[in-house]
Amino acid sequence: MFINRIRRRTSAGTALVLAAALVLAACGGGGGGSASGGASTAQTVSQSDIDKAMSTPTELTFWTWVPNIQQEVNLFEKKYPAIKVKVVNAGQGTPQYTKLRTALKAGTGFPDAVQIEFQYIPTFALTKSLMDLRPYGAEALKDKFVPWTWQQVVGSGGQVWAVPQDSGPMGMLYRKDIFDKYGIAVPKTWDEFAAAARKLHAADPNVSMTNLAQSQAGVWFGLLWQAGVKPFETPSTDSVKVNLNGDGSKKLATYWGGLIKDGVVSADADFNDAWYQALNRGKYATWLTAAWGPVFLAGSAKATAGKWRAAPLPQWQAGQNASGNWGGSTTAVVQGTKNPIAAAKLAEFINTDPASTKMFATQQFLFPVTKALLADSSYVDQPLPFYGGQPVNKLFAGISDTVDTKFQWPPFLDQAVNDWNETVGKSFANKSDTNAALDQWQDRITKYAQNQGFKVNQ
Amino acid sequence: MTDRRSNVLTVCMVVLVIYFLLPLFWLVIASTKNVGDLFSSFGLWFAHDFSFFSNVHDTLTNNGGVFARWMGNTVFYSVVSAGGAAFLCALGGYGFAKYRFRGNSAMFGLVLGAIMVPTTALAIPTYLLFSKAGLVNTPLAIILPSLVSPFGLYLMRIYAQDAVPDGIIEAARIDGASEFRIFFQVALRLLAPGVVTVLLFTLVATWNNYFLPLIMLNNPDLYPVTVGLAAWSSQAGAGGGTTGAVLSLVITGSLLSVVPLIAAFLLLQRYWQSGLASGGVKA
Amino acid sequence: MSVTTDQRLEASAPSRREARRQRRGVGHASTGYAFVAPFMVVFVAMLVLPLAYAAYLSLFQERLIGGTVFAGLGNYTRALTDPRLLDGVGRVALFFVIQVPVMLVIALVAALAIDSGLLRAAKAFRLGIFLPYAVPSVVAALMWGYLYGRDFGPFSQLAGDLGLPAPKFLTSSWMLGSLANVVTWEFTGYNMIILYAALRAVPHDLYEAAAVDGAGAIRTAWSIKIPALRPALLVCVIFSVIGSFQLFNEPQLMQRLAPSVIDSGYTPNLYAYSLAFTGQEVNYAAAVSFLLGAVIVVASYAVLFVTTRRSRS
Repeated sequence: MFINRIRRRTSAGTALVLAAALVLAACGGGGGGSASGGASTAQTVSQSDIDKAMSTPTELTFWTWVPNIQQEVNLFEKKYPAIKVKVVNAGQGTPQYTKLRTALKAGTGFPDAVQIEFQYIPTFALTKSLMDLRPYGAEALKDKFVPWTWQQVVGSGGQVWAVPQDSGPMGMLYRKDIFDKYGIAVPKTWDEFAAAARKLHAADPNVSMTNLAQSQAGVWFGLLWQAGVKPFETPSTDSVKVNLNGDGSKKLATYWGGLIKDGVVSADADFNDAWYQALNRGKYATWLTAAWGPVFLAGSAKATAGKWRAAPLPQWQAGQNASGNWGGSTTAVVQGTKNPIAAAKLAEFINTDPASTKMFATQQFLFPVTKALLADSSYVDQPLPFYGGQPVNKLFAGISDTVDTKFQWPPFLDQAVNDWNETVGKSFANKSDTNAALDQWQDRITKYAQNQGFKVNQ
Repeated sequence: MTDRRSNVLTVCMVVLVIYFLLPLFWLVIASTKNVGDLFSSFGLWFAHDFSFFSNVHDTLTNNGGVFARWMGNTVFYSVVSAGGAAFLCALGGYGFAKYRFRGNSAMFGLVLGAIMVPTTALAIPTYLLFSKAGLVNTPLAIILPSLVSPFGLYLMRIYAQDAVPDGIIEAARIDGASEFRIFFQVALRLLAPGVVTVLLFTLVATWNNYFLPLIMLNNPDLYPVTVGLAAWSSQAGAGGGTTGAVLSLVITGSLLSVVPLIAAFLLLQRYWQSGLASGGVKA
Repeated sequence: MSVTTDQRLEASAPSRREARRQRRGVGHASTGYAFVAPFMVVFVAMLVLPLAYAAYLSLFQERLIGGTVFAGLGNYTRALTDPRLLDGVGRVALFFVIQVPVMLVIALVAALAIDSGLLRAAKAFRLGIFLPYAVPSVVAALMWGYLYGRDFGPFSQLAGDLGLPAPKFLTSSWMLGSLANVVTWEFTGYNMIILYAALRAVPHDLYEAAAVDGAGAIRTAWSIKIPALRPALLVCVIFSVIGSFQLFNEPQLMQRLAPSVIDSGYTPNLYAYSLAFTGQEVNYAAAVSFLLGAVIVVASYAVLFVTTRRSRS
């Protein structure tokens, strides 16, 4: 992308021409549609170039919303004293992505490195916003990471779009005290889960077996992932397979839509004040959540300390052992950075250095993605008092191995999530027909993708 | 006019004022509570613990003291925008009112029509233009659009027509004063109440602006307090980190952000008054 | 504040305008240009140009795959048949029809009461009602969002103490009313001040004449004050049209509290924002923005037309 190399502070006229070119570039102009879809073909940067870059005084900007990430960054700065990193919290998730997009469109004010959740990688790869990290030796990192997480950062042409930071394999946190009180055994299958939900509701209408949030498409995708459904597939850059209302999805919709309609499972919006309060008050007997959930809950529902335990997700077939993923992030390098080497090394260092990854896992409670840490007994065997001393990390480390590697995200995730909220999520809120809502979702996304020029197959 | 009726009226008005002040009362109460009490104690009265000072401390120190920065940005954006807008309107209004030139009424008509153009409908195209010019994510992105106040121009033109008598201008011309000197030394003083009116008007508009900075700014260091508070309020964890604790920051921050403007309102009462009075001068 | 507008509005009757035009115009044309140039330059750059640009953009379609194509009026035909946009426009129109009369009646009554001289501490009342205007709409929306809270909002707490069901402020059937309440709370004082300023400008000899005829306070208000307020009320209505159709801040901030009620197409402005920043359909968003501007201008002129016709007949 020649644009990025010649982008400088220019006169307004040049800026205009440049911007026009940028806009063209940003929307996949050139329409090559080849599977490479990335920057210039991967040319390995020599070690001497890397050494030179890492000893040249540089200031990097790093957008991330991980609290206190400065401490990991300090380790990096200690190792590479020439590099200074400015950490900016530009918002959490969507607000940050919106800002990243606007900055990229403007051609100024974007960071060198950025935190991107797994599910957004194809979206930003499509708009050529991320750098392929292969030239900077990223392929050599593959074996350090849990295979499914690595799979998530690799593009269709083998590009490495980011380095995994943390993940969210899904399990079930449950209120042991509530289960004991009503004689409910920990459900192993979804059938048992539904039976328990009805039993609990009959015994105490104020408690809901779980809350499937009307505003949390991420959980829906995680449950699809567990069920082996492939909602999106991208056989090539310019075509996408949209399958949001197939048999697997319908099975899920019938199951959850039914439980919500009968009032035995609530669908409150999550991560807002009412939801925090409900957790503290014991309105929900379980929380189907990700591996980052246990510590998050311990901080958010202090009133319920000691009452929770963790278990794997219930399964569709007895004896099965599958899970999905919800959330988790990576560190990516933004296309157009003037300091690609330093930014790539930052991404590599904070996510692979043993001291740094351990800090993430133990101080910011991000669930690890490196094999080394998931085998480190000082981390996984640690008992958590909030869970009655259960070594919850060990459970989730085991679950992490059961996440399917082949799940794919669409190249327009924002729209997929937005439309989910307004179809499926709405059906939860209104207790209306979730299967019909799935059809609407399919319909809206298909139309959107066609409008955007994709070849769409069902 | 009996006393009884005025009592009835007073009671009705008291009820009305209670409605208008109740949320602010709640805000003050809520800013004295810690998060636990916010969830559990009765909303319209104090809780047992008085956490006001620790809340203020937390608000001012969170994210490296960014809140004070936001307040500073807000003051900066609104003062510069309001000052600039009022000055442009005073110049323009005076020009339209006191000079005859080709296109005068056509231009003025165009501006009048623009009063109805919604500023937010303009925000997205303005953003796109600014992004091409490299102005996005700079203070100019907030200030430049706020400099235009078609309604302010309309006001100033009407005001200048009557407040600056032609005779005075003529007299100054006979004394040999240049046109701009007349404006700055004679007219501006007479226009002052109108200028203050436009100034306050734009000040409040910029202070309250949310949509434009939300779109234009990526850098939290540049946020005005409105965008900052909205960012805090949406900062409920998507993967660890913040929890309900941010709630008391939002509440206390809201209170702190309202105080300066309310103080300004109280202090500038006289100006509202003089604006009103000068409106009443001429029937 | 439009303290001086209202009575000037009347002053712009044609005959007077003519008289004035003959008196003025003593300056040189070039100096006149110099005076209006700064405003006009910024005006063109910040208002006319973005509008023109929106119009230009709206004729194209930029896609994720295959770049930008000329779409002609395709975005407009899509917009005019887009149920979500039409729903949004219908919703803000309904909002306008319900919220604005309520707000203006309260503002009018308050202005008349404060002006009547029948109140003790009229100044305090005026300030108390005006104060919410000093509260940024972001803060107002956040505040009311907490007050509306289903679980720990004071209204729910009160209802619970009284053994009543909690009010459902944030459900789909109540939401528009809840938003209308926030906007009413914010802007009643502002409108009251405009009306009050206009009242102060009513010549007092009219009142004396009415008093001689033995008219009471209410009768005076009805037959003298309210007709005199017509131009000021018109200004309030026009501003309210603009405000209602642009509704964005309040629903955007309350979205988090009720995501399934306030969807991305809840108001036209919210829809344009979501199109531009979620779906990256910038061109379509420009068309929607442009249409929204057109709708507001048309609605404002409709209001003007209806009221001026009525006052003539």
